[in-house]
Amino acid sequence: MTALLRYEAALLLRSQRWLPPVVLYAAALGIGVQSGQPVLDSLGWAAAVLLPVAAWLVRICATNEPPAARGCVGAATGPGRAHLASLLVALCAAVLLGAVAVGVVTVISDPTGTDRRTPVPIGPASGAGLLAVLACALLGTAVGALTTRPVLRSPGRAVPALLLGALLALVVTGSPARTAVSALVDGSQEATVPVPLLPVAAAALLAAAATAGSCALTTRRSP
Amino acid sequence: MGSESRIRLESVGRRYGLRGRWVLRGVDLDLAPGALIRVEGANGTGKSTLLRLLAGLDAPTEGRVVGRPRTAHVPERFPAALPFTAAEYLTHLGAVHGLPRGAAARAVDEWLERFGAAGHARTPMSELSKGSSQKVAVAQALMAAPELLVLDEAWTGLDATAREELERAVAERTADGGTAVFVDHDPRRLAGVTDATYAVVDGALVPRAVAEAAPSAGAFVVVEARGPAGAEPPAEAVRLAASVTEAEGGAYRFGVTEPRSDAILRALLGARPPWHVVSVNLRETGSPR
Repeated sequence: MTALLRYEAALLLRSQRWLPPVVLYAAALGIGVQSGQPVLDSLGWAAAVLLPVAAWLVRICATNEPPAARGCVGAATGPGRAHLASLLVALCAAVLLGAVAVGVVTVISDPTGTDRRTPVPIGPASGAGLLAVLACALLGTAVGALTTRPVLRSPGRAVPALLLGALLALVVTGSPARTAVSALVDGSQEATVPVPLLPVAAAALLAAAATAGSCALTTRRSP
Repeated sequence: MGSESRIRLESVGRRYGLRGRWVLRGVDLDLAPGALIRVEGANGTGKSTLLRLLAGLDAPTEGRVVGRPRTAHVPERFPAALPFTAAEYLTHLGAVHGLPRGAAARAVDEWLERFGAAGHARTPMSELSKGSSQKVAVAQALMAAPELLVLDEAWTGLDATAREELERAVAERTADGGTAVFVDHDPRRLAGVTDATYAVVDGALVPRAVAEAAPSAGAFVVVEARGPAGAEPPAEAVRLAASVTEAEGGAYRFGVTEPRSDAILRALLGARPPWHVVSVNLRETGSPR
């Protein structure tokens, strides 16, 4: 599995297809986060916009290899494991990106609530930010896994489905991503730091289910 | 991995989609270690589906596949659209196949050299010619000595030397106890060493007599040649021959499958100093195995 993860990670890095989603994420952060803003609000934004970026990274990793090359790796390890490795690499890339964003946001933001007076402890705030980022990366991975090969194979359907899925995952009531982000925004208004563990657990369950489903499908769809 | 090193298909059927046509149905196949199997059939009959099932790339719709040897697959056309050099890609694939990284790096050099592509080791995959990228695909499959080798028209696009080298490598693999299954348009491909031939007809797998499958199968040429006094047979000739025996008067008898008879004569006559060919005889019976 280590060799497989290294291969998939090298494939992502070398292909340079990671560049557009990373640039998109940086641009979204540039629009929504400015220095001196309340820290929890900015962390909420950083987490929310990571969700579509994570879904996009999954799409990139899952479709990075030409089918024949995928067959070579699939024969060696089993297509399910190969697909799992590509999803894990995408998730790790998204979490890494989110962690960097949390670091930058905590440094440049104002450690106060929305009222700009009540102080917010910076350590716990960045911890809450990391949890929210994790929840969004996991849910984004689930959305990506369900809207790319082998579940949806024609780009004409897959890309709109990915965009719609990412949007719904952010706005639907009860979605772990929305819950985690709201927890940060509400916490900012009350100047208390939330611990959104439950949304992370829920997102992890959804991501695991989506991953298991899509890996099981790898040998059941036509080539 | 490396669970069970023998693979067996039990009344396997495969169709795509819930109401799709059955591409394969009722296929039973037990592949013994060391078996070299040829699969034939017109285009679109399900040969590739059968190979995908054997390679584990496809799951059967009904029936089951028992056992999963360490498997390698050579696709018909290997795309060059990968962001690595040939050596980088092969090192990654060697590790994916389970080789330690050091061994993988050594195997890369060895196999690229064997297929005459050592000069392309540092070439980006996207700049490789069709033939060279097919060599990479072949090297990828052979470098970790798989227990099951699945070749889907792997010879397509290779030059003559590489085609011959691949035949030899496949024969070596099966001699070492590996199983190989191949599809190829050329009826002479591995003729004489193939253990069984199957045809896919209307979704069923039909065993064919080897003689019927390839008219030249079993045809065997015995070349008798004499070299300079006390000389060892040329290495190239020994490599091509299935058997080498010493005859009277310092002569040697080289048994060779019919497709290789030209090559062995070339090797003998081209040796320095050249060997004298005493006789060439065709034997219909007999097999080099």
